[in-house]
This record gives sequence, structure tokens and C-alpha cells, in this order.
Amino acid sequence: MIEQATPRVFTSRLHDERNAAILGVALGVTFTVCFVTGVLSHLIQDPPSWFQWPSRPAGLYRVSQGVHVATGLASIPLLLAKLWVVFPKLFAWPPFTSAAHIVERLAIFPLVAGGVFELFTGLSNVHLWYPWPFNFRSAHYWVAWITIGALVVHIGAKWAATRAALFVDDASTDIAPAPTATTSAFDRRTFLASVFAAAGAVTVFTVGQTVSPLRKLALLAPRRPDTGPQGFPVNRTAATAGVVEAAHHADYRLSVEGKVRRKLVFTRDELVAMPQHEATLPISCVEGWSTTQRWRGVRVRDLLTRAGADSDAEVRVESLQRRRSYRSSDLNRWHAHDPDTLLALEVNGEALDIDHGYPVRLIGPNRPGVMQTKWVTRLVVQ
Amino acid sequence: MSAQSYGRTFWIAVAIGAAVMAYGAIGLVSDAGFGASTNVAAWLAGADVANDVVLAPLACLVGAAVARVLPRWCRAPVQAALLTTGVLLIVVFPALRGYGRDTVPDNLSVDPLDYTTSTLTALAVVWAAAGAWLVLGLALSGVGRHRRPTCATPRGRSTLRR
Repeated sequence: MIEQATPRVFTSRLHDERNAAILGVALGVTFTVCFVTGVLSHLIQDPPSWFQWPSRPAGLYRVSQGVHVATGLASIPLLLAKLWVVFPKLFAWPPFTSAAHIVERLAIFPLVAGGVFELFTGLSNVHLWYPWPFNFRSAHYWVAWITIGALVVHIGAKWAATRAALFVDDASTDIAPAPTATTSAFDRRTFLASVFAAAGAVTVFTVGQTVSPLRKLALLAPRRPDTGPQGFPVNRTAATAGVVEAAHHADYRLSVEGKVRRKLVFTRDELVAMPQHEATLPISCVEGWSTTQRWRGVRVRDLLTRAGADSDAEVRVESLQRRRSYRSSDLNRWHAHDPDTLLALEVNGEALDIDHGYPVRLIGPNRPGVMQTKWVTRLVVQ
Repeated sequence: MSAQSYGRTFWIAVAIGAAVMAYGAIGLVSDAGFGASTNVAAWLAGADVANDVVLAPLACLVGAAVARVLPRWCRAPVQAALLTTGVLLIVVFPALRGYGRDTVPDNLSVDPLDYTTSTLTALAVVWAAAGAWLVLGLALSGVGRHRRPTCATPRGRSTLRR
């Protein structure tokens, strides 16, 4: 067998198999968690025919997406540390030792590139910063599949080596030159503890954007769950959506149409005069922040009953927004008929702020924020 | 680094992984179009270069410099604090530079803090923790060192310190 050698310029003993193995296992876990929760979020927003996302438990999406973003952020130090540990291998000579080794090394490119790409685009997206010329959601989603595919190849290649590095005696696995070159007090245990502490610090300083009791610690988070109009954040303002005039116009109406026995049309005052229902529900943004508020308004299922829609009808909820994505969202039969799915008129006892969807917004349990359509003007029964 | 043997498991993983990667690549091209996909590919290459040409060498240089300049007794807490500082700066830099706010100037709930202050606060916590570690470490090792003078450690101090 051909032996590879790495350049002697890398004198740190921390560039070794055991560190690579431990960080690799940690990243295997975090990337899998991110992938599963990410694909789930994608399925919820774009459901294929075989997928029906339930409306209960009400906070499930809040947890799964909160975990997606928090795990992604915590992966940043893990990935950078891992790539630093294995950095000398990039210069190993000869570059390939067998045909299989060529395959293994080729798969490292999509793995490293995809891993860095996913974490960078995800980080930028939570700050609503888009410095690239492509659609975030599409690229982040499909590159996740490429990255996970490369990860499968990598795990296949490293399974035995990782087991060996993890389950043998600590001292015997050091492969770097003897410690005479640069003795460092920064030993393996300290190094790994620091990397995991950095991941912990990232979490502590950001997770308050969704875990409300920790909000004061969210010093590095892009959102505070208690900051925004009426005390909670907004993703798209009415001005950005171009709906300010239409939302305040005297001609504003909410209609219930489509497959109904009676088409219904309401002014906002007529909606206010209907039986009101109150629900305390989270609004859980895809970007990882969430906040629980007390909403009050008309039950969607009451409107469907009045209009004479089928009891398992699905509904498309349309906004005053003319263009752009997310101008409408779909309620599957569980969401449409959940007793807490509301067309909200008030939040915490006040009429909705226009940035929160005045005159009427959709709010329902267990839905991504982008599917809690604001400035609702039409329910189309499917 | 020793050469590695590849068994059947590896080739099964290659088959599965290649299929998953192909699904992602085909999905990207059919969803985003060819032009946008080449942009994504360019950013992927850029992500790889950013690590291999900038971040990893920089980490090596900083690590080596710290190992050379700082005395051994304070190296570990300083290395750990530097590592954490770097990571926190990466996490907060879009907010620190105001990139998110600039794209949605009318939305005051995006990146709502004074991030210079909040970042300095977070870093102060990190360096305070490193300082506590240093003091505690010195105190504990001091206790150990001064205990029993022996032939190897006359006056109770280890001669193996350097």
C-alpha cells in the first residue's frame, strides 16, 4: 500500500485522527438534524400529495425550525474546527493512493463546499441578507441534498478509521511529529472543550430569539421575540409588500368563495360583529425566531360552515399583495378546520398593526410564519 | 497518515451518496434553471476556497503565533477565548455590518440591537470566563506545585515547566 505524508510545517499535535473523528461524529449528528428538520420545513411549505402536515401539536414547527437554525449556528465552530484539524491532509503527498482513494477525495469537495455554503447561506438568511444572485430557498434546499450525499460517501470511507480512532487509547493515536517542535498547553482535551464551548457560546447568545426566557442573552441574534410593532417582530412590512393603501381602503372586503354553496363578502366591521374566538399561538418564522401572542378573531371553520363548504374542504388564503412569493398559503383539511385557526383581527387586545396584517391576518397552530398570511382578502375553498 | 483500505461498505456508500448528490444537482438545475445553478456552483467553489485559502491558513497562523508568543501558563485560556471570539464574530458580522438592516430599512425588528455594544458585551463575557479559567488553573496548579518539595522539585516547584 502507498503511504501518504503530510507537510512537516503543520507542527500542532491537534491535527490528528482522533480530533477529526470526534468532531466528525459531532458534525454527522448536527448535519443530520439540520437536514431532517430542513426537509421537513420544505415539505410543510410545498407539500407533495402524500404529505399532510397536522395542525397539532401547536408548537411542533416552532421546535423543529428552532432546532434547525440553532443546530446550524452551533455547527459553525464544529465545521471550522474540523476543517482546521484535517487541513494538512489537503497537502498530503502523493495526493491519491488508489482508485477508491480518488473517489473518496473527490467527494470531499462537495462535502466541504456544501457544508460551508449551507452554513453561510443559512446564517445570512436569518439576517435577511442576500448577497448572491440566486434564490435562497431553492439553493439552500438542493445543496443540502448534495452535501448529505457527499456526507454519506465520506461516512462510508471513514467509518472504520473513525471507530479505530475513537475506541483506542488516546495517546497511541497521535500521528503528528513528536511534541518537541512546539509544545502547547493547548492539548486535545482543551482544544475539543474549547470548540464545544464556542458552539455553546453561539447557542447561548442567539437561542433567545426563539426561547423567550433567554431573550436578554440573545446579544448576537438577528431578532428579539419582544421587539417590533406591538412587541414582536415582523418579516415583511406592509410598505415592502405594497399593501398600505389597499389595507386602509374603504373598499376592503373579505370574501369566501370557490366550492361553496353561498359566496360570502364581509367588511372588517362585519367580521368584528361575528362571534370572536381567542387563541394563544406562536408565530414561528422559518428564519428561526418565534414568539407567542394572544390572538382574537373569527374562526376559519365558522366561515366555512356559513358558506356551506364541505366539512373536509381545503382552503387557499389570499393576501392583498399583488406579486411576490408568499402572497397566499394553503390550509389543508386539518388546518382549515382546527378550532384555533383564525382570521385574526386583534392581537393582545389591540387591532392588528398594519405590519402584522391589518385588517385581517391568518393565524393557526403549527404553521411556518410565511404561511400565516397577512392582509387577507379572500378565502378560496378548493 | 496511513493508507486506508476500502471494503464493500465504502462502495455501497458511494452508490447511495452519488444517487443523493445527483438528486440534489438535478433538482437544483430543474428548479433554479441552468444560469442560477452555475451561480450556485461558483458560490460553492468560493465557499471551499474561503476555507482552504483564507480561514484555515489564518487559524494556523494565529495558532502558531500564539503558541510562540504567549508563555505556556496562559496559552490554553487565550487560545480558547480567541477561538470563541472568532466564531462569535462570524455569527454576528452581518448584523455588525448592518447588511440585514440595509435590505429592509423600514423594518426596525430586523437586527434591532446596537450590535457593537452587544458584541463587545458577549466578548467581555467570553474573556472573563477565560480569565476565571486562567486564575483558577494557576491557583490549582500552584497548590499542587508548592506542596511536597522533592529531589525533582526542590522548593516545591516543578522543574518540568518549560
